[in-house]
Amino acid sequence: MSADIAPPVPAQEAAAEAGVRVVNVAKTFGSPPAVRALEHVNFEIARGELVALLGPSGCGKSTLLRIVAGLVQADPGGAIEVLGRQQTEPSPGVSVVFQTHNMLPWLTVEANIRLAAEIQKLDRAEIDSRVESVLSVLRLENFRKSYPHQLSGGMRQRAALGQALILRPQLLLLDEPFGALDALTRDQLNVELLRIWQEIRKTVLLVTHSIAEAVFLADRVLVMSDRPGRIIEDIRIDLPRPRDPRTTKALPEFSRYIIQLNRIMGVD
Amino acid sequence: MQADIIKAGWLRATIERVILFVALAAIWEISVVAFNVKPYLLPRLSTVVESIWTFRTTLLIQSLVTANEIILGYIAAVIGGIILSLIIYAWPLARRTVYPLVVLFQGLPKIALAPLMIIWMGYGTSSKVFIAFLFAFFPVVISTLGGLSGTPQNLVEHFRSIRAGTWTTFWRLQLPAALPSIMDGCKTAMPLAVIGAIVGEFVGSERGLGYLILDATAQAKTDMLFAALIAVSVLAGLLYWVVEILADRVWWRSL
Repeated sequence: MSADIAPPVPAQEAAAEAGVRVVNVAKTFGSPPAVRALEHVNFEIARGELVALLGPSGCGKSTLLRIVAGLVQADPGGAIEVLGRQQTEPSPGVSVVFQTHNMLPWLTVEANIRLAAEIQKLDRAEIDSRVESVLSVLRLENFRKSYPHQLSGGMRQRAALGQALILRPQLLLLDEPFGALDALTRDQLNVELLRIWQEIRKTVLLVTHSIAEAVFLADRVLVMSDRPGRIIEDIRIDLPRPRDPRTTKALPEFSRYIIQLNRIMGVD
Repeated sequence: MQADIIKAGWLRATIERVILFVALAAIWEISVVAFNVKPYLLPRLSTVVESIWTFRTTLLIQSLVTANEIILGYIAAVIGGIILSLIIYAWPLARRTVYPLVVLFQGLPKIALAPLMIIWMGYGTSSKVFIAFLFAFFPVVISTLGGLSGTPQNLVEHFRSIRAGTWTTFWRLQLPAALPSIMDGCKTAMPLAVIGAIVGEFVGSERGLGYLILDATAQAKTDMLFAALIAVSVLAGLLYWVVEILADRVWWRSL
């Protein structure tokens, strides 16, 4: 179904460049009754690629992201390679942003953003300069002394992005980072996300259940089945970059991708 | 503008309180006279105020004795309670063995232990300090343990993902996250420490406000008894107020 639009990535090129390689990963929760969350999951993400993981609620896409992050152990038998290393626990170079922000209520926005860098024991001057650049990229300068509860939901997720960017990750894992926000704020933040990604060009794996969001942002969309989750489609999104909400979403190809994905996910 | 509104609200609350106090005082004074209540049952408020003034030095000295016992017992309970909780929390063996013991001990009426403490530690300060400690200890343990295990799971996961070690996670996440709950325990513990010290003085002492209460009762000096009761209330109120000011520094409690 996707063959006419997304030619498979040449094998040796992917092997050399892989940011993430997931081979035959499965995950079973609890026992008994055991819940099979993931089954035979295989995919690769090239370095610098922005890949969306699309699937219905409860299909295990967040679990898959946590496995890639090293936060959850996959069942034995599979392999997860991140930035050229076997992933068994959270590793340097990987940052995660979740749907609910992870800011400590007793720290200011600035202190929250610094936190991860301080824990990694980075040099003080280095942290200072990184904080400044993160605050400016995310346009949070005026909110640096605010506490999380004083911010709007959108501002909080922006700061949560800052918490991840401060470590200058090679791989950014986003678990529906704007999923709890209203549609307008969500669209705005997606545009910001693209702008930032355009600048840093790091590998991004974005979990989402929004087809439009996946198509608008990603180079490739991996579609997951219902539980137990498997990758059932791998669709390359050949829309020109830089993308922009008005022009990109007006392209006929954009609608075609949406229709195609709707059909795959059975929501047409 | 904002400050004016806050000030106006505060002023209003103060006026309301003063009116209530004056009304209660007037009812007390007038009823005793009107219904001809015997002074050994309930002295007139003015008589009580008079004895507070007459015995001000005694009241102050005995208050200081009791305050000293309360504060020492309370601080021991807070520090000991937090340390024991940390041990129970961090060490599974202690959770399995020490914790059930603490809970079991809590079921014991500590008031019944007071005479034993007098036998063991004598009539002096240490027995009262220890009884105050026994009364105040348990809420600190329970609230600290509750606070530590109540650390939001998403933040724990976040700390794992930024590769924070056990100590870092404790100092930068679990402890501050537990502080609001710990402070609640400290607030509960303060009045209990007051009860403990007074109970200790009841059971065996020659000093302190508890002793003063018993002594006044024995001599049927009800005005003196009331004076001592007022001193206890003021002392307990002051101590609680101090704890509350400290607890308010943990401002993220309600977030």
